[in-house]
Amino acid sequence: MSEEKNKEYFKRLANQLMFDLNDEEAEDIVKEFETLEKQLKLLDEVNTEGVEPMVYPFEDETTFLRKDEVNHVISQEDALANVKDKIEGHFILPKVVK
Amino acid sequence: MIQEMAKDVVNAKERCMDAYEKAVTLQEKLNDAITLIDPSEQLETLPEGGLFHGVPIALKDNVNTKGILTTAGSRILSNYVPVYDAEIVTKLKKEGAVIIAKASMDELAMGGTNLTCFTGPSLNPWDTNRMTGGSSGGSAAMVASGVVPMAIGSDTGDSIRKPASFCGIVGVKPTYGRISRYGIIPYASSLDHVGYFTRSIEDACISLQALAGRDDRDMTSSFKEVPDYLGLLNSDMNGKKIAIFGNVQDALTNPETKEMFAKLMHALEERGAKVDVFYFSEELMKAMLPTYYLIANCEATSNHSNLDGIRFGVREKGDSMEEIMINSRTKGFGPLIRKRFVIGSYGLFEENQDKLFRKAQKVRRLIVNELNKCLGEYDCLIAPASNDIAPLLNDTSRDQLSDGYLIVENHMVIGNFSGYPSMTVPMGFEEGCPIGVNLTCKAFDEVTMFNIGKAIEEITGYKDLTAEVK
Amino acid sequence: MEYVATIGIEIHCELKTNTKMFSGAPCSFGRKANTCTNEIDLGEPGTMPCVNMEAVAKAIEACTALHLTIDPLVKFDRKNYYYSDLPKGFQITQQFHPIGRDGYIMIHTSEGEKKIRINRIHMEEDTAKQFHLTSKTLLDYNRAGTPLIEIVSEPDMKNGEEAQAYVEALRQTLLYLGVSDVKMEEGSMRCDVNISIAPVGSNTLGTKNEIKNINSISNVGKAIEYEIKRQKEILEEGGVIHQETRRFDDKTGETILMRRKEGNVDYKFFPEPNIFPIRLDENWIKDIQANMKELPEERKERYAKEYGLSDHDINILIGNKEMSEFFEEVMKSTKDAKNVCNWLLSDVSGWLNKHGETITTTKLEPQNLAKLIAMIDDGKISTKQAKEIVDDLMEGKDPEVVVKEKGLEQVSDTGLIESLVQKVLDENPQAIEDFKAGKDRAVGFLVGQVMKASKGQANPGMVNEILRNAIKERI
Repeated sequence: MSEEKNKEYFKRLANQLMFDLNDEEAEDIVKEFETLEKQLKLLDEVNTEGVEPMVYPFEDETTFLRKDEVNHVISQEDALANVKDKIEGHFILPKVVK
Repeated sequence: MIQEMAKDVVNAKERCMDAYEKAVTLQEKLNDAITLIDPSEQLETLPEGGLFHGVPIALKDNVNTKGILTTAGSRILSNYVPVYDAEIVTKLKKEGAVIIAKASMDELAMGGTNLTCFTGPSLNPWDTNRMTGGSSGGSAAMVASGVVPMAIGSDTGDSIRKPASFCGIVGVKPTYGRISRYGIIPYASSLDHVGYFTRSIEDACISLQALAGRDDRDMTSSFKEVPDYLGLLNSDMNGKKIAIFGNVQDALTNPETKEMFAKLMHALEERGAKVDVFYFSEELMKAMLPTYYLIANCEATSNHSNLDGIRFGVREKGDSMEEIMINSRTKGFGPLIRKRFVIGSYGLFEENQDKLFRKAQKVRRLIVNELNKCLGEYDCLIAPASNDIAPLLNDTSRDQLSDGYLIVENHMVIGNFSGYPSMTVPMGFEEGCPIGVNLTCKAFDEVTMFNIGKAIEEITGYKDLTAEVK
Repeated sequence: MEYVATIGIEIHCELKTNTKMFSGAPCSFGRKANTCTNEIDLGEPGTMPCVNMEAVAKAIEACTALHLTIDPLVKFDRKNYYYSDLPKGFQITQQFHPIGRDGYIMIHTSEGEKKIRINRIHMEEDTAKQFHLTSKTLLDYNRAGTPLIEIVSEPDMKNGEEAQAYVEALRQTLLYLGVSDVKMEEGSMRCDVNISIAPVGSNTLGTKNEIKNINSISNVGKAIEYEIKRQKEILEEGGVIHQETRRFDDKTGETILMRRKEGNVDYKFFPEPNIFPIRLDENWIKDIQANMKELPEERKERYAKEYGLSDHDINILIGNKEMSEFFEEVMKSTKDAKNVCNWLLSDVSGWLNKHGETITTTKLEPQNLAKLIAMIDDGKISTKQAKEIVDDLMEGKDPEVVVKEKGLEQVSDTGLIESLVQKVLDENPQAIEDFKAGKDRAVGFLVGQVMKASKGQANPGMVNEILRNAIKERI
């Protein structure tokens, strides 16, 4: 947490998440972050030494595994139903550079 | 109500068309639907029998419906037509239900006001200057206004149980895994529950009967047998042990609510219930909101990484993959959503996870341990669902993270942390607007939850309450 | 300055299951685009993963064959990043709890046997396929969600030969198990190499470079040797090695810079909330392990015991699984393992290569090869004659029929040979004199004459013996 949590920081974070923030939105997050830090202090006040994180509401182990049989395919038409442009059954993007 | 409707086969068509007409009319006043569906086609292919034969219902718009627009209240999905039905849609159709609307909701279910839907806010049928609450606001409004007797919602922090309180109806969040989440656009997977609204406990029983059960496509869904909820319904309170959520009761600032609640507890005692007070520690109470905020936003950020405009959804122009993703997600997500994602992502960074995400998960366990202590001795934990009636529309305080602990407004999240079944039922009225009471029971003990709910319903007489929309 | 290289290898293998890792859509190869998917593989909103039992079973087999300790509690995690071929915006993998840990495989190089340790094997899902045109990229999600196992070695390898031997040994093991097609050219096995060099005796490692896009086993060694040379040259000129991702260009034999690594990408790993931990039944695991197909090492031992072949022959035979299986088919009709092996590895393989066929596409019938060898052993035809009818044999014909048709039966009638021998001796008195003078090669000449007289059909062994006796009588 060594970097300053200013507008530029959050704008950069947003870009990593594949969206933009304008100045106002970034400023908003800076403010909310300050509030968050106060809220986090409340979290810190709870002693969690020796406590495991609770990932799932129920921790009974399951045993179910799916049988390796084809049970559901959708048509090429359905797969592409929600895009406007397609080429020979493919989704299209501008050339992706690695 | 639902039971009678389903038996009344002859009037199915009229019933559904009437519901649709009413929905269309009220849409202008309440703005509670994103898509309205003319039921004519469905009525032609209704299966025989079924618990919901010819019963009109609404689905929150995060429930995937094949061939019907499903938006999750977000602009980025404003053109999304799923090619598959959610499991509950398949189940409900099998039972003969007729879907007449996809209901309004807070964007991506991330909100408590229903003001963030891209089609605008939905209004409270009891007072259209007030909000329905969210995120399942549209569904609550459609049930409260009498358009449908049942509407599907989802509950991640209290998104069914809070609007139920504000709209004077029954709002059920069953046990985690009781109802399949396959085909429900997610918010936070370890907190999300599929649930519903009805206007009576009996209808709540029948609804769960139709919705519950194992779905192999949802690996978190339960194998447990589904009991005959309606058959087992019994409002006898003798021997029932009820724990009042002490911290919430003490934090109430609205004297009317306090009185209403005290009266209700007294009435339950008179019916033979033992009513005590149970307290959580102060630190845990204060930690509830940040615990929820972190877990929910961290999981949500990850869950919605698929919304990139490439295979579905609104795709904005761009000269590269990055540009398309960035433009689509910037235009497609509202500012509140993007804010939450940034915080969520921050909480998941490797260097932060221990202090943030994992810390919150540890506190979650401690909170659930406390609840287990309570439910080890008692049949339910009970408290008012909110301090006040539905806030006015221009009250934006609910979406900001606040300095205050807001215990009364946020306590129901323990039902999501624990996965235990929790239900809001109408408790009383203030200024002509309803307010509800919330009870949480042991895992898979919906039978007890409905039974206590039935007793409350009998005490208050609030059954099949419908708002006259002005 | 002497340098030593430290090499670790990560291998991704597509598992040969019917359906995807987390959905019931079919796995495919070479099908029309986007016809082997469903909403789960496309990462549509509201979908949830459902774990494939057979993928887990195959992962267990791989772990067992490579001596890893299996974790009977299966847990998955999310690896979060954005890319065009990643439909959910995260990959479901096993970051924190791989299904197998701490195994090894033995490799054989020019320096002998060496144990290469394997750090982990974990299950994950494959991404979509991208086709890059000039200005567009096309996406096909048929491959999205295909089950993968990732095998991560310890950095135990020191040079290209060891690395190549490791990849080949791994490939064979997985092929024999039948868990994957392991074809690098088709992408069912992918290999990423991590390599650094450091001065001999140094206790710190050099800067790691990653090499991707190695598309054949032979290129594994080539890529590594080039990279070692490249890094050495830089260090010897006083330069610095930067952490880079490079790709191998098989036309030039060089590694080319793809991108510099600026710090590590944060994938925000956290447990997959939609999959509860799965407890694997111990008996189910034991059952899988008991029914595993024969591994290369096991087959080697069996061949040595059953067939008495040399290590060298066995290794070559085992190196081609289908060839070794053909070998066993032939051995059902004969006991002459050595000759069957020789024939398969030389004449048959040579013919197959020349005609662009493989042992799986050949028309050669195993019992016909056995017959041929029996005919040689019984003296019915000579080896030379047998080689003349290879074409017919490879086209599926019965050697007994062919030999009759072509009138190639070897003459082993002693009487006939005796008379031919006498005739030749009568006609070549000088050769007899040469033999008397100690020129042993006169015998070879005389045998050749007898063979000529018999139109090549006399049993050469018999001719030699009879001739020598006949000469002795005349001296």
